[in-house]
Amino acid sequence: MKGQYFAGVDIGSTMTKVVIMDEATLASVIGPTGPEHRKLANRVMEEALGRAKLAFDEITYVVATGYGRINVPFADRQITEISCHARGIAHLLPEVRTVIDIGGQDSKGIKLRDGRAVDFVMNDKCAAGTGRFLEVAAESLGVSLEEMGRLSLEAENRVEISSTCTVFAAQEVVAKLSEGAALADIIAGLHEAIATRIYGMVRRLKIEREVALTGGGAKNIGLVKALEARLGFPALLPPEPLLTGAIGAALLGRDIVKEAEEKGEKLKISPRRLTEATLFT
Amino acid sequence: MPEEVAGGLAAADKYYRDYGSRARELKKGGAKIIGYLCAFTPVEIITAAGLVPFRIKGDVNEPITKADTEMETIVCPLVRSCFDVSLKGKYEFLDGIVIPHACDSISRTYDVWKYTLNLPYSHFIDMPHGTGEPSLDFYKSLLGTFRTSLGKFTGREISDQDLKEAVGLYNQNRAKVRELYQLRKASPPLISGAEVTKLLVAAVSLPVAEATRLIDSVIKEVKQRQAAPAKTARIMVVGAEVDDIAFLDLIEDSGAWVVADDLCPGAREFFADVAVTANPVDGIAERYLRKIKCGRTFREKEGSYDDYLEDRFGHIGRFIKEFKVDGVVLYIYKYCDPYGFDVPAMKSYIESAGAPVLYLEDEYSMSTIGRLRTRIQAFLELIAK
Amino acid sequence: MTEEKKPEEKKKRKTATEAAGKIGPMVKAALAENLRAKEEGKPIAYSFIYSGYDEIIRAMDIVPAWTENYAGICGVKRDAQRFLERAEGENFSRSLCTYALCGLGFDSWREELGEMPPDPPWGGQARPTVMLGSGQVICDPRYKWYQAAQHYMPDVPVYVGGLPYPPYEEDYDYREVQDYYVKYIVEELRGLVEFLEKHTNRKMDWERLSQVVDISDRTWNMISEAYDLRKAVPCPMGTGDAMNTMVPMTFMMGTQEGLDFFKDLYDELKRKIANREGIIPDEKYRLLWGGGLPSWFALTDFNYFNSKGAVFPAEVTYRLVEPVYNLDLPRVSDPLEHLAWRWVRYWTYRHDRARKRPGSTPDVERLIEYIEDYKIDGVVMHEAFSCRSWHPGLIWQLNQLKRVYRDIPSLVLESDIVDISSYNEADTRARIDAFIDTLEAVKSR
Repeated sequence: MKGQYFAGVDIGSTMTKVVIMDEATLASVIGPTGPEHRKLANRVMEEALGRAKLAFDEITYVVATGYGRINVPFADRQITEISCHARGIAHLLPEVRTVIDIGGQDSKGIKLRDGRAVDFVMNDKCAAGTGRFLEVAAESLGVSLEEMGRLSLEAENRVEISSTCTVFAAQEVVAKLSEGAALADIIAGLHEAIATRIYGMVRRLKIEREVALTGGGAKNIGLVKALEARLGFPALLPPEPLLTGAIGAALLGRDIVKEAEEKGEKLKISPRRLTEATLFT
Repeated sequence: MPEEVAGGLAAADKYYRDYGSRARELKKGGAKIIGYLCAFTPVEIITAAGLVPFRIKGDVNEPITKADTEMETIVCPLVRSCFDVSLKGKYEFLDGIVIPHACDSISRTYDVWKYTLNLPYSHFIDMPHGTGEPSLDFYKSLLGTFRTSLGKFTGREISDQDLKEAVGLYNQNRAKVRELYQLRKASPPLISGAEVTKLLVAAVSLPVAEATRLIDSVIKEVKQRQAAPAKTARIMVVGAEVDDIAFLDLIEDSGAWVVADDLCPGAREFFADVAVTANPVDGIAERYLRKIKCGRTFREKEGSYDDYLEDRFGHIGRFIKEFKVDGVVLYIYKYCDPYGFDVPAMKSYIESAGAPVLYLEDEYSMSTIGRLRTRIQAFLELIAK
Repeated sequence: MTEEKKPEEKKKRKTATEAAGKIGPMVKAALAENLRAKEEGKPIAYSFIYSGYDEIIRAMDIVPAWTENYAGICGVKRDAQRFLERAEGENFSRSLCTYALCGLGFDSWREELGEMPPDPPWGGQARPTVMLGSGQVICDPRYKWYQAAQHYMPDVPVYVGGLPYPPYEEDYDYREVQDYYVKYIVEELRGLVEFLEKHTNRKMDWERLSQVVDISDRTWNMISEAYDLRKAVPCPMGTGDAMNTMVPMTFMMGTQEGLDFFKDLYDELKRKIANREGIIPDEKYRLLWGGGLPSWFALTDFNYFNSKGAVFPAEVTYRLVEPVYNLDLPRVSDPLEHLAWRWVRYWTYRHDRARKRPGSTPDVERLIEYIEDYKIDGVVMHEAFSCRSWHPGLIWQLNQLKRVYRDIPSLVLESDIVDISSYNEADTRARIDAFIDTLEAVKSR
């Protein structure tokens, strides 16, 4: 597989990630998604190629994943983020059996066996188990999203947030603040609430160790701690939690090419062109 | 009487898309149309009365608006949708409504249906949940009351002969559907899951003999087909009622075939016949109470717990083998009691029967169905060999 | 208001009657008795309240474990969430009955551990000998819940007996069908006896059953007469208390203790009326709780209503009896037949009355009867999001009431019976305030 390069493009609802790999990661780019997926995919891919110092037609195979995967015209294959996260973690942390991915607008649990996903659960309907929950709460509290995790660790007397609805929780949080509860205590309560929602969803898979946390949520130390408290044991974190899906996508691309070579099959490849996609195609 | 549209899948499509068009024609010709919910309505008796049974259907593309003024939102979304489109005049040709005691969502909204639609005829069949002898006897009495009631409505008693003829027609109809299902066993199947559902939904909007002819014409048409492209997986869908093809399209657009089901309208409804009995009501009662396997019926446990699961879900295990099913999708609406409570037992049984399970909860609306795309695709990726 | 949001047990709700105040200890004692009975090897039956089985269970000395009640206790103690989560973890949909979810979560946990879950509310719920469900009575969970629980306790047998009643229909009169309803119910009750004899080491004493049935008849009468006293102005007892007194009505039906309780309540209410003692000194609005189970963790809402001058002299919820002497029952010697007739006649009690008012139904007639007899100013309904038994139909009943009777002020509250995350206190209180304003406006016209 020398001289072969594989690209993984993960268009999440909040962040878009691109990874270019050969044996190891050559380049990675993370950018905010915004509404124009196609334009963004092109731009981010361009940037990644620049960093890898590669021309686009040197890329052997491109796999797109994530919420916006159908909006990547130059992708050779679209694969769900479930399979991609599983493949990514199987590569980065082979001892992991359960992956918990906490994204901006959805969260998922994935069960692995022998490096493959065998079961999964998803929540993409209700904001309460996702990054959005914290975003809304942060806004209500006048705290930056980045600060939330750190602040939660300063809690001395965690407040219980009973509302599972993001909107109600935001109201509840403001009410508690006005009653005199400490900010850190409230924030810890919010993290506890999300951890509870996420744990409740993932336990449907019958959680097995080791457990890995991925996605934006995994970068929130407060949430990591709250989840570990629920799990009852420490969780593993990949070096860059946001890239797991893109890495997995690139690796699946490599798997596909390898299998095709072994079988002597020809693969369908999309034109290696980063043209501006028109709005209506 | 107006002529039926030429048969085949084109006709099925027309009757599906313009749902109720045939009933409207028949009504103009003087027929009386009785709307009903759920496969537990004894349509043999309605047909024997000389009336045309019409299965009320919802619409996943129609946001529920009017229904909310009278019906709670915690009711099964399919029932709400059915009520909503009824209020919006989609079934203005109905002369009556018959509702069986299937589940709370259906039975507890009977008054709302009855008084709001205000049709000339309405009847609630308080079908028992148990299957023991006392329940069967009770159910026969209920059917007797229903028979008398329909007779009063039409002005003509329903004779045993009428019932026997109707039973014969429905048994023929069900046999025809079973013949259709055989075409799904091929690899790849000769007919898609979406096509089957479309056809069966169209069928339950037609008088039974016409439905049988329609299905027969589709069988003939489909047998002529060239082989379809091979796809990744053979999927079985298990759930309560699916009267819209949107979900099946979603699975089949993702690269799989839906080759089998345990649904209404579907195998659940068409794979059990009415036994021909001296008193025709006996055979009818036996079929609906004991032969249809649905979460709303409480089957008593005899033997071990594994035997019990086999009794309740064994038909799914058999289909998995017969139709060479690679994966099972449990497609269950939010607020569904009969199936919601069964999920852990069903999942456990199906997995031990050797098929992976994807459990999906849905709200019967295009906006929620689309969200299931990723899950279905992920499931297909998972089970791919 | 701040005190009430502690995660631990809430401040005790103030009751209007002494009788209602006795309930907390009564329930606790009942639970403790269950746990003790388990240790002593007595047969325990998971049971639903008001399923028509009480007399049989009592006559056979079987200990009922009221699973809905246990879920309610978890709700009141605000400790249901972890059980609801466990059930969700088993793949039960959150949209199902939250009593059932709580119970299934608790049971699956207990079975997994081989002992009670950690720190269970009031000592927990013991593993049963049998589970008794019902068909066509009140709701689906009554024939699904225990079947689902059996997945975690495969060796515990489940009985589901049907106890239906003639619906209110135009195309026939209930008298044309009641005979076969009664026949069916008698057979199902007989089936229950056989089932219990088979699976517990108890034999039915038919003499005893007749006695128990007699006590329960008298209790039906006593409850009805006591509750009728609430017609008085000012009203001596409200729905808040009735949510407590439903305990002996449903947990102790057929026992002398239960009968005595309502005799005491009757006497207490008579005393209060003689002293012109109402729930509140300044009663401004009399309200009907027209339907819906209450939020067990938010019973203090009744105190909030009281603080605004509103009382609830009557409710439909948990008023599960009528005077037996009004039911026109045939004289039969078989106690099971008597129970069957009592059941059918209770549920068809207002069928004839409904015929006299076009568009009315027995449920609507009941609302009208209470509105008139109890001098009601407004109707409150509670929609619990997970309960599809009592709740579907409430909106329609309210609308129909206004269509066939009069446009009476009404309020619809929303949350859940056990799942506290559905409840928004600020929102609920705001709605109550607005309703009070409406009542005031109507009154001052």
